[in-house]
Amino acid sequence: MELTIPLIILALGAAFGLRKPEISLVTALVALALSIVVEAAILVSAMIAFVAILNIAALFLMKKSYLRGVDYALVSLMLIATVVALYSTSFAMLILAFILVSTPTYMLVMASESGAKVDVGVKYITFMVVATILFIIGAALTIYGGSVNSESIQTVGICLLVLGIAMEVGAAPLHYWVPDVFDTADPIPASIIASLAKFVPFVIAFKILFTVNTEKALLFIGVIAAISMLAGNIGALTSNKPARILAYSTVANMGYIIAALTVFYKPEFVYLAFAGVLLQLFANAFGKIGFFTAIREEGTNSVFSYIMALSFIGLPPLLGFWGKFYILAALIYANVMWLAVLLVINSAMSVPYYIRLANLLSGKPNKGLALCIIGISAIIMLLTVVPPNWLIDSSKVLVGYFKLGGV
Amino acid sequence: MWLWLVLLLSPIIASIPIAVAWEFNRNIGRKLPVLSVVGLFISFLVTLYILLFVEEGRFSYPWLPGIEIAFIVDYLSKYMGVLTGFIAFVIGVYGLEYMKDDYRLGWYWFFFNLFTASMLMVVYSDNLLSLLIGWEGLGIASWGLIGHWFRDDDELSYVGVINRKVGFLKMFWSPSTGGWRAISTIRLGDMPMFFAVAAIFAFAGNLNISQIDWELLIEKIGSFGVAVLLLAFLMGPFTKSAQLPFSEWLMTAMTGPTTVSALLHSATMVAAGTYLFMRISWYIEPWKIHDAGIEFVYLLVLFLGLISSLYGALVALASRERKVLLAASTMSSLGLMFAAAAASKWIGEFAIVVAFWYLITHAFAKATLFLVAGHLIHETHDRFLCGDLEVAKKMKLTFVVTIIATVMLAGIPPLTAYWVKSAMDEVMHALHEVGEAPLFLLIVISAVYSAFLAKFLSMNFVKGRHVHLHLHGGGLMKTGYTLMVSMLFLLLAVILLGIDEHVEEFVKAGFHATSFMVGVLVTVAYAIGFVKPTLETKVGQVLADRFYLMALNDFIVPKIGWAFVTAVDYGNRAIDFFTHRAIPGLFESVSKGIRVLQTGRLSHYVQLALGALMLLLIVVSVAGW
Repeated sequence: MELTIPLIILALGAAFGLRKPEISLVTALVALALSIVVEAAILVSAMIAFVAILNIAALFLMKKSYLRGVDYALVSLMLIATVVALYSTSFAMLILAFILVSTPTYMLVMASESGAKVDVGVKYITFMVVATILFIIGAALTIYGGSVNSESIQTVGICLLVLGIAMEVGAAPLHYWVPDVFDTADPIPASIIASLAKFVPFVIAFKILFTVNTEKALLFIGVIAAISMLAGNIGALTSNKPARILAYSTVANMGYIIAALTVFYKPEFVYLAFAGVLLQLFANAFGKIGFFTAIREEGTNSVFSYIMALSFIGLPPLLGFWGKFYILAALIYANVMWLAVLLVINSAMSVPYYIRLANLLSGKPNKGLALCIIGISAIIMLLTVVPPNWLIDSSKVLVGYFKLGGV
Repeated sequence: MWLWLVLLLSPIIASIPIAVAWEFNRNIGRKLPVLSVVGLFISFLVTLYILLFVEEGRFSYPWLPGIEIAFIVDYLSKYMGVLTGFIAFVIGVYGLEYMKDDYRLGWYWFFFNLFTASMLMVVYSDNLLSLLIGWEGLGIASWGLIGHWFRDDDELSYVGVINRKVGFLKMFWSPSTGGWRAISTIRLGDMPMFFAVAAIFAFAGNLNISQIDWELLIEKIGSFGVAVLLLAFLMGPFTKSAQLPFSEWLMTAMTGPTTVSALLHSATMVAAGTYLFMRISWYIEPWKIHDAGIEFVYLLVLFLGLISSLYGALVALASRERKVLLAASTMSSLGLMFAAAAASKWIGEFAIVVAFWYLITHAFAKATLFLVAGHLIHETHDRFLCGDLEVAKKMKLTFVVTIIATVMLAGIPPLTAYWVKSAMDEVMHALHEVGEAPLFLLIVISAVYSAFLAKFLSMNFVKGRHVHLHLHGGGLMKTGYTLMVSMLFLLLAVILLGIDEHVEEFVKAGFHATSFMVGVLVTVAYAIGFVKPTLETKVGQVLADRFYLMALNDFIVPKIGWAFVTAVDYGNRAIDFFTHRAIPGLFESVSKGIRVLQTGRLSHYVQLALGALMLLLIVVSVAGW
């Protein structure tokens, strides 16, 4: 187990970190660096690690959190779990990764500069617990149904799995916690929930669905995706608070990504769908980190906010465009036309509120670390000015780890 | 190449200084019309040069892929070009005096010269697409000129008795209405014509009139297809040459300056329609093609022409306005030209030559009469037929010119039009396959035609009511129409001396007994018309009101238009409602519905989430996925 050493370093760092947060920061970064060098497709791991670093940097902005010191370790732990989820082919390890990504957020969500926000925590944890249970039961049933050749068990399993994901990442119609938590929690923890925590559920879902490879429940997944896109976009249209807009934007983005799950039964196009999912998650993660930091700073300069908004809209050649483009391409190859059409319509519908968001958060200069975080989040959207072929290659490598090999 | 550029561009370029100067300094502008006339003169010289020194043949220059700008010099175009150039130049000279106190000279001269250049383009073009450029130029220039007095403030420029109404029809028209009626009618015909030209290119792959292979077209799209194609194409000539039922615009085109009427009615615009029909018939050679579709179209044009001609003659007979009488008579003549040219289907090329010679004769005579009418309107300040012997005494030259023009045009032997008309009688007489009707109609039309020309003479100079004359100047105007009328003698000389290769036939036809009988009849009609020019009857009123055909332009078509407008308006409102109200409203309410779920109470959320969860699972199990 290559990850044992980082985990030990992390645990030690966290323990010391309660007294000396700097130690925890250093150990978290070291663990992070160790965790990503271990496997192939290093670029994807590095990108996710970059998300984690931005998260840690954002946490650094919070001077008086009750978790100060431990929070770095928690983010680092989430990263390690994410990398594990990418490379592991063991069912138990995947479930473990899922829980490891989920539980740190329980604590993070309550962090703020004025004591712990217990009410937000209760709302969040309630939903997460239900989601985790649904997800684990669904995953287990799906795999079990596959091994005993029972289609009905498998179908129920997939449905529960998808519902679990929907609740976990905040897709409609189980998204009720998202607007409240994003709005009332401190922006920095919200940005972590909206960014780093989203990778693992989808990776695991892809792996499980790819392993069982059935056409059952396809329509169900599609319907959830459609509902989530529409609810998110329409909900955001009349929202005026930046945090609320971001919340509904998350709902919509999760809809796009769930839509990509419908490609799983066509193994030849899964790499394309997965590349789209990764890009969309990156765009979503960097955009959310940038915007939430801007909310915390009560604004940013208009260039950054517009770059991020346009990336969310999906304007070529920004990051957000390529995510949607690959998902769309995969959907079209897999002949899920209706969902592709809906995706395009929804992208168009999202224009007004992203522009409104960019306007709301424009016109205030930042400085120091906040400027760095927002600036990097915005500039990274320009990464795909050169078409991201490297990601397609990485995605092909990662699809090699999709087939689960047993417990 | 330079020849054609000079021919077509010199009038336009020469008129640009006045068009520009008029907007900035009217004192300078008043001196510049001479320059425009010089431009017209240059064009005239070029047409003369083409007639005398340029070999017949095609001159083509590359343009678009598959389409070239092609000019042709042949029997029709070389004469027609000189005719246009000469008449435009003479009318231009006349206009120097007639228009000298006008308030929009820049506009007038620019469009006048554009008009001439466009007509020359139509005359010499062999390519249908380049011809269309001239054709459209005619349309826009005629709109500009007919509506020239756009202020509608001078009753002298109206048509009809001011404030007269018959039922729901307003029986008077202002210049701006006249301009609008002209352009709207013409566009109606132009649209099918464009499609027909496109279809010709698509099927025959060639737009050169002299090269289009009609046999191939018939082979490709069948008799019916060719008939439809030709009729669509002829919609352009029909509307431009004011055949029934598109004649109304021509009557109200009299709201323009008289010079415009003169030009419009002789060598340009209305002549363009008949000329184009003659030109394509010249190359279709319908007498060589045995096809039901072609035969149908020519039969239709024959009778449409004759009936339009009869209509025009009757309206002219009853008309009380100087210019409207002449306008209706023009329509009558145009009908005869169409009919004679259409007879070529059975007679051959000779019928087209007859029609063409009639066009030339008519052009000079009608231009003369219009110029006379313009002078009379100037001197009497009255656009209705009026004037007694005092007018004849005080305007001797005008009187004499009018006598010559009317007598020459009526077809009284042995004057100019007699020989042409005789040839036309011959042509109609030879239409055995069609029957006796064309000849009969032609004789009736000729008699009526002669009668109203005599009426024009009589009512203006001899038997009209007494008017007060405002004699002043008029030198250039007199020069203009004297020059114009003298051309009729030239034509007579050409015919009698047999200078042209085709006219010998005319002279032979003139010595036939039937032709002579018709000539006598025409003379008698002329005498009657001269002696008794007025006769008040109810029938006469209907004729004077043009059979109430204006109901079509002023009532029925607008009603159809308004029906469209209403339908479009409803569609428009529906779109507005959907895009501005319904869809945004729907989104807003759905959005509010989604957001109203966020009450902030955890128990509520859990209920909702678990409810949705259960619902979805139930749906899944019921649907059996």
